[in-house]
Amino acid sequence: MSPPERKMPLSPRLAVYRWRAPMVASLAHRVSGLILILFILFFLCFLHAVNTEGMLFTQLQEWMHSTVGQLFLWLGGASLMYHWCNGLRFVLLDAGMGEQRQSMRTSARLALAAGAVALLLMGVWL
Amino acid sequence: MNEQVIQLDIYRYNPEKDDEPRMQHYEVPLSKKGMKLLDALNHIKWHIDGTLTFRRSCGEGVCGSDGMNINGVNGLACITPVEGLKQPVQIRPLPGMPVIRDLVVDTTHFFDQYRSVKPWLQNARPSPEQERLQSPAERAELDGMYECILCGCCTASCPSWWWNGNRFLGPAALLQADRWLKDSRDEADNERLDQLEDSFRLYRCHQIMNCMDACPKELNPTKAINDIRRRLLLRRR
Repeated sequence: MSPPERKMPLSPRLAVYRWRAPMVASLAHRVSGLILILFILFFLCFLHAVNTEGMLFTQLQEWMHSTVGQLFLWLGGASLMYHWCNGLRFVLLDAGMGEQRQSMRTSARLALAAGAVALLLMGVWL
Repeated sequence: MNEQVIQLDIYRYNPEKDDEPRMQHYEVPLSKKGMKLLDALNHIKWHIDGTLTFRRSCGEGVCGSDGMNINGVNGLACITPVEGLKQPVQIRPLPGMPVIRDLVVDTTHFFDQYRSVKPWLQNARPSPEQERLQSPAERAELDGMYECILCGCCTASCPSWWWNGNRFLGPAALLQADRWLKDSRDEADNERLDQLEDSFRLYRCHQIMNCMDACPKELNPTKAINDIRRRLLLRRR
């Protein structure tokens, strides 16, 4: 009787793959998108509180001035700016602009740099 | 004079002996200027450890056999100079593929996906006496695509393919799909586009661009995928 066939292991992937600028830019686009969804939910909540409940409005305003609230605003603002910059990059690529290999790398670095500047500016502003 | 040594950590897995894959350290003398990584692997195979298993054939970046993950990025061992690589050089099989042994992966699924795009000329008209002619401009449309050697470096670098490889065709197959869509002699554009127009088969590409970055032939599968998308958009108008 032949021995049972063993399942072949899958070669390592995300854990070993070196992060390159376009890969980081793409992942950051998705992460910033997720943060923006949370930010919009919070913003809708805030608008609702402005219109209806005075108590909730005061609580939300206090929360925004706490460390966690400030962090949330910081990430939300920076995400908005990064998502806009990289989103513009994706739209241009979809339209066939900047599709050379080096341009793709350069535009990813530029988008990431814009994200870093956005983080810095939001930090200073808040 | 001290002999220069290259240090390598290589992924090892023998299904007959090992329960789990492991990394094994080797030291290889730097034998010549311009030495390639494949030379180092061959040195191990022939002089240090004959059990090390890897694919290779032409040794000059044409056959695409020795695609592997080198220091975290996919590439061909035969055209990767060892000088300049961070040591110890980390060598693993192409990511996201079942490992048969050591650096040899099972490429069955990869080639099944390649076959699924029908990578051959489809033209119902009778064959001419000699060949189907193309103008120089029509022939030039295939530049940047026909050079693909199907090494798998691009597909195995794509996170979308790692996670949805059963449904997403991956960069190599899509580059070939675009190659046949752009061939002026091919007449199956609509059938090809029908087969590609799918939220997973084509649109699972999220422009991560690892494929473009990894391709040892400096091709651009990301652009090819975008070209197919634009062609689909124009077809709808």
